[in-house]
Amino acid sequence: MDLKECYAALGGDYEGVVARLGGEWLVQRFVRKFLADGSYDLLCQSLEEENYKDAFRAAHTLKGICQSLHFTQLYESSSSLCDMLRTGAWRPEIDGMVAQVEADHKKIVKAVQGLDPEVLGVTGGASRGEEGGA
Amino acid sequence: MKESRNGVMRFLMLSLVLILVLCVFIFSFLALFMNRKSEQTISDIGTVYMSSMSEQISLHFQTTIGLRLAQMEALIETISSQESGDEDALFDALTYNAEARGFEYLALYSYDGDFQMIDGRQVEVTDPQPFLSSMRDREEKVAVGSDEEGNKIVLLGVPAAYEMQSGETSIALVGGLPVSYISDTLCLDEEGAMVYSHIIRKDGSFVIRSVDEVGSNYFEQIRSHWDGKDVGEAEGYIRELEASMRDGREYSVVLETEEKGRQHLFCSSLPYTEWYLVSVMPYGMLDQEVSALGRQWSLVTLGCCGVILLVLLLVFGKYYDLTRKQVHALDAARHEAIQASKAKSEFFSNMSHDIRTPMNAIVGMTAIATANIDNIEQVKNCLRKISLSSKHLLGLINDVLDMSKIESGKMILNKDMISLSEVMDSMVSIVQPQIKAKKQNFNVLIHDIIREDVCCDSVRLNQVMLNLLSNAIKFTNDGGTIDLSMYQEPSPKGDAFVRMHLQVEDDGIGMAPEFLDKVFESFTREDDKRVQRIEGTGLGMAITKYIVNAMGGTIEVQSELGKGTRFHIVVDLEIAEVREVDMVLPQWKMLVVDDDEMMCKATLESLKDIGIDADWTMDGESAVEMVKKRHSLHDDYQIILLDWKLPGIDGIETAKRIRGEISDVSILLISAYDWSEIEKEAREAGVSGFIPKPLFKSTLFYGLKPFADTMEDVKEIPEEEPLQFEGRKVLLAEDNELNWEVAEELLSDLGLELDWAENGQICVDRFKQSPVGFYDAILMDLRMPVMTGLEATEVIRGLDREDADIPIIAMTADAFSEDIQRCLDCGMDAHVAKPIDIQEIARHLEHFIH
Repeated sequence: MDLKECYAALGGDYEGVVARLGGEWLVQRFVRKFLADGSYDLLCQSLEEENYKDAFRAAHTLKGICQSLHFTQLYESSSSLCDMLRTGAWRPEIDGMVAQVEADHKKIVKAVQGLDPEVLGVTGGASRGEEGGA
Repeated sequence: MKESRNGVMRFLMLSLVLILVLCVFIFSFLALFMNRKSEQTISDIGTVYMSSMSEQISLHFQTTIGLRLAQMEALIETISSQESGDEDALFDALTYNAEARGFEYLALYSYDGDFQMIDGRQVEVTDPQPFLSSMRDREEKVAVGSDEEGNKIVLLGVPAAYEMQSGETSIALVGGLPVSYISDTLCLDEEGAMVYSHIIRKDGSFVIRSVDEVGSNYFEQIRSHWDGKDVGEAEGYIRELEASMRDGREYSVVLETEEKGRQHLFCSSLPYTEWYLVSVMPYGMLDQEVSALGRQWSLVTLGCCGVILLVLLLVFGKYYDLTRKQVHALDAARHEAIQASKAKSEFFSNMSHDIRTPMNAIVGMTAIATANIDNIEQVKNCLRKISLSSKHLLGLINDVLDMSKIESGKMILNKDMISLSEVMDSMVSIVQPQIKAKKQNFNVLIHDIIREDVCCDSVRLNQVMLNLLSNAIKFTNDGGTIDLSMYQEPSPKGDAFVRMHLQVEDDGIGMAPEFLDKVFESFTREDDKRVQRIEGTGLGMAITKYIVNAMGGTIEVQSELGKGTRFHIVVDLEIAEVREVDMVLPQWKMLVVDDDEMMCKATLESLKDIGIDADWTMDGESAVEMVKKRHSLHDDYQIILLDWKLPGIDGIETAKRIRGEISDVSILLISAYDWSEIEKEAREAGVSGFIPKPLFKSTLFYGLKPFADTMEDVKEIPEEEPLQFEGRKVLLAEDNELNWEVAEELLSDLGLELDWAENGQICVDRFKQSPVGFYDAILMDLRMPVMTGLEATEVIRGLDREDADIPIIAMTADAFSEDIQRCLDCGMDAHVAKPIDIQEIARHLEHFIH
């Protein structure tokens, strides 16, 4: 699938991100990088260790990334989780929201992995401002 | 309440009575005690006085008698019986000398007690025995006797041996003086004197008696004072008197008799005699004086008591009054508190109703969606409704939060630069869907705008406008009209300010006059069938008013039931110090078509500012006519601004007709509505583009500028604009690599060179290691591991470097005003919200770097 379809699948704002980052190729580069980002893993790990302070920070970072990339769904769930973790203590509703974040994250991972490989490949050649190869 | 009030009253009255009783008691006691005390003192003084009196009298008696006895002795010494044998001559000499010394009687006293008179009448001694025995013992003695006529005489006997007629030798020479002599010399009976004295013998018989005494015995006298009653008491006094006379003691007593009143009696013995001096001082007059004093004292005491009681009463009265006032004030405060709490409970019940409604929708829709999990359409529908309800719920909760912030005084206004055109733009696009849904007419009128860029809290300004607009939409029926207008005038606060008027007017259901008074109070909603089905917390207007007031502005409302409502906000805004881009466009020939005359004129004003003189008209047909006319003159319009909604033929139809006349023209549709739906149709009709209402100068400028390229070759500068920060170095602290890359990508478009610091500590270190002035600015994320942005800023600000005041701009996802305040408090210069907006950062950097 192309980037537009990918954003539709992962629940993001395609127009918004392209407009803000000024081109599809950049978006593609960052979206691919998202898979390598450690915030989500840190979040899971901190929650496992019941270290809610780190978990809060990780959720906060994740929220920031989603904002940057216009991953609307994950932004909303991570933002809610972030608010719940703000106190630094476990609360009953956290578990539900963690599940939501997990689901949203999975959706993104799946969608990004489903991006057309050739589309991922053209990043280097496209010039700025040109709405790349799709 | 009542009970405690009564309790206080009872306590007051009780203490008053107690104090009254105490006062009366103490003062009576004082009066009584003092009376007693003064009586006692008087009697003491009497005793002292009397004793010294009688001492004086007896001394006087002693000297008088002593003198007389000495005279007698001298007489005897000068005329001795041996000297002359002539008896007659002797007697003559004696008589002569005695008379010369004032003696009225002179006699020789024989051993047997017989008198041989030398001078004066024959005398005899009243009580001869003691006198005789004293004479025989050759002592000097004084006694009382009487002559033949009964005159009382005082006899002074001095031992002397003379030849008597009887041939015997006398044992003494006796001289006589009238008794009055004694009483005169002793002043025993002076008139007007307080004290009178008697001289008595041991048996009570008088030797010398004062005038007002009768009888011959003083004891009888005492007995008579009691007049037969209480004889025992009189006898008691007499016995005591006799006993002290016998023992030679002084005797002092206060006698109280019915007849004579109180008398002080003092008795002492007299020398040379067997007599006793009894001094009596009647207390009658003294008692009168004393009781007059006592009465005065009692009166004064009572007076004092009265004054004290009066003052006490006054104090109590005042206190009572105060207490009553306090109680009233308390009552009032209580009443107010109850009102407030009632309002709050009403609010809570409203709120719980308002919250339950969307909550029920969410719960219900979730259940339906779960039941129909396979029916995607159904689920989508449910989710849409859930999302709507949650948004509504969020709105409610935000209102409540705002209100609690306001009530606790924690609402802070940010001051950031805003563009009124942007604010209006976003406002219009936010309310468009609602207006469309209710098919209402929405007119936006902007005129007389002096400055578009002002300083204001954009979030709160938006909130105010949104509140007013959404109220207008809510309370206006389908198909109604809502007018939003904004205009400016010079501010009385000075050149740095501009006065902005905002007006929202609708022709909706309006408000009752009695509700108008309460519309800005918290927790109020008109309780009326008409509005029961319209949700809301009743907080919106209170919040709106608070915000407007906090901005230093005023809000007014006019409303009439069934006719509509108008809110008018006036606020003085500080003019932002932004160098306005020189907005000048080529002198195009333009035509503005709008059905609102005000709107046309305002637009023409704005166009004039950017260098364009335009024509205007109010409907489609005349617009087409004007285009035709100009075409025939070969002076075609180059740009036509066309309102979408026009009377008669609408904008699209007009565009079609104009296109039929001339092709080389840009037709721009202006509208306050969302044109996405008509876009296709419009494009087909020959519309070149859209400009959203309201038409600010900047809106027109940026809306028209793209056509400058196509019209004439006006050189576009914006190409270079992003690179305005060529070569500037910025340190960016951000813990997430992806975010950092995005930021770098975006910011390098501005020509900035960025260095990455992964946390606050690294940021500080990098800054420390760099040469002074190396970095132009720092962009700082707030939440970072190791060291947060706030801490890092504080460290950097505390460094001892020339460039420790380097511009630091915070970037955070939490755009609460408290966070922003915290950033500024710890020394940051500005704040941008995440995700970062390149324009915003460019604006801040321009402000700080240039």
